[in-house]
Amino acid sequence: MRRLLALFLTSVLLCWLVGLTNHHLSGWHVYLYLGGGFVTYAALNLPLRPGLDAVLLAGLLCDATTPGPFGLQALCFGLAHCFLFNLRNRLDRDAPAMQVVVTLLANLGIFLAVSLAHSRGLPDLGATWGRLLWDLLWSQVALIVITPWFFALQRRALELADPVTTAWERRHHD
Amino acid sequence: MSLRRFDQAKPFVTLGIIVAVWLVLPAVFKSFVRVSFFELEAPVEVATSYARDLQEYWALRMHSNEALVEAGRDLARLNAAYELRIQENTALRGEIERLDALMRLPTFIDYRSEPARVVRRDFSGWWQRLIIRKGQNFRITVGAPVVFTGGVVGRITEVRATTAVVELISSQNVRLAAVIEGDTRPISFQGGLNTSFAPPKGVVEFMPLDIFARPNARKRLVTSGLGGVFPPGLTLGYVTHSELGADGLYQTGVVELDPRLSSLTEVTVLVPLNPD
Repeated sequence: MRRLLALFLTSVLLCWLVGLTNHHLSGWHVYLYLGGGFVTYAALNLPLRPGLDAVLLAGLLCDATTPGPFGLQALCFGLAHCFLFNLRNRLDRDAPAMQVVVTLLANLGIFLAVSLAHSRGLPDLGATWGRLLWDLLWSQVALIVITPWFFALQRRALELADPVTTAWERRHHD
Repeated sequence: MSLRRFDQAKPFVTLGIIVAVWLVLPAVFKSFVRVSFFELEAPVEVATSYARDLQEYWALRMHSNEALVEAGRDLARLNAAYELRIQENTALRGEIERLDALMRLPTFIDYRSEPARVVRRDFSGWWQRLIIRKGQNFRITVGAPVVFTGGVVGRITEVRATTAVVELISSQNVRLAAVIEGDTRPISFQGGLNTSFAPPKGVVEFMPLDIFARPNARKRLVTSGLGGVFPPGLTLGYVTHSELGADGLYQTGVVELDPRLSSLTEVTVLVPLNPD
């Protein structure tokens, strides 16, 4: 429970930071979407249930502060988590470069899924997708910058919340 | 072999069970969860907004006394001009009321102006909205129009304990009846064209064939008052381009909205006094 709370608080922090950045970027009509950042650490490092619970809670948090069907982002985060969880044994998940690449791919998938869900009824689909591709580009750049920091933050938060289990998992993982 | 296959499918089965349980949960529960998550984050956003105001206050404190005296003098001049306008408006309002009574016209809804600071701006390709720092605590109502000095901002879509969400007119979900200034025929307006590094835009449909709009001869688009949400005559934007629609009976056009929409720090909510 403490581990779930620790991960959830880091998600709240990321959600707030992204919101703050988007507030200041609104003048340029640039929007960052960092859904992949909420998913990857839990999918690569935690057991299935705690990781999935943390990811779904982060998804619901994102859903609550955005319009659209409540649960859409939670579902997308959950699916991304399941895919990554199945793949993680084949990946060098301790390499920072691999963590960044996986986060970028997860974000790409989630972004496209959310875009498809929201693109119904748009007056000019071509112009909207042009805008969305720009947003995706800036989001991926932002993810490259923050992923190592956010991974370290989540790792540290878990160590503080439950040092014994985290140390055991690390040994088991190695 | 089958055990290994199940191991591969286990995450998806677990997710499927969670999704199935979520789907059968009553809507009231989902709504409660949504509000709870929103309210969980709201104090953080509101505190950030107050911190931003404090930062602005300390920045203003750095101004010299001469600058403040000059600003005060300019404000006094503006106040004098506004005093005159208020007197003129009172006289005109009395005249309108007299004519309305004479012709037995239905009266428009009266509004209470509620200025509110902007907590957060969201300008994605999917939606454009603001979160403001007033909600149920100031009796803001869902559907109330929101305006600023440049015209219409949008309308309230969600009201929470201390915050409210404003959907901007640049958002694709906003559709309303508008008229070209000086004309009475209603036109359909929809937001939704928001490219990066460019001002927000919208589109108009069902524009009469005898109205022409070009970038050098743009037409001011105002609210029609139809539908009862927005008072008539508020600026929506300027129609800068029009062309014959697919049906050949009407024109479609592009509306350039106020670029300040994406950098608003304060707006005014027009709360209906007698919504019934």
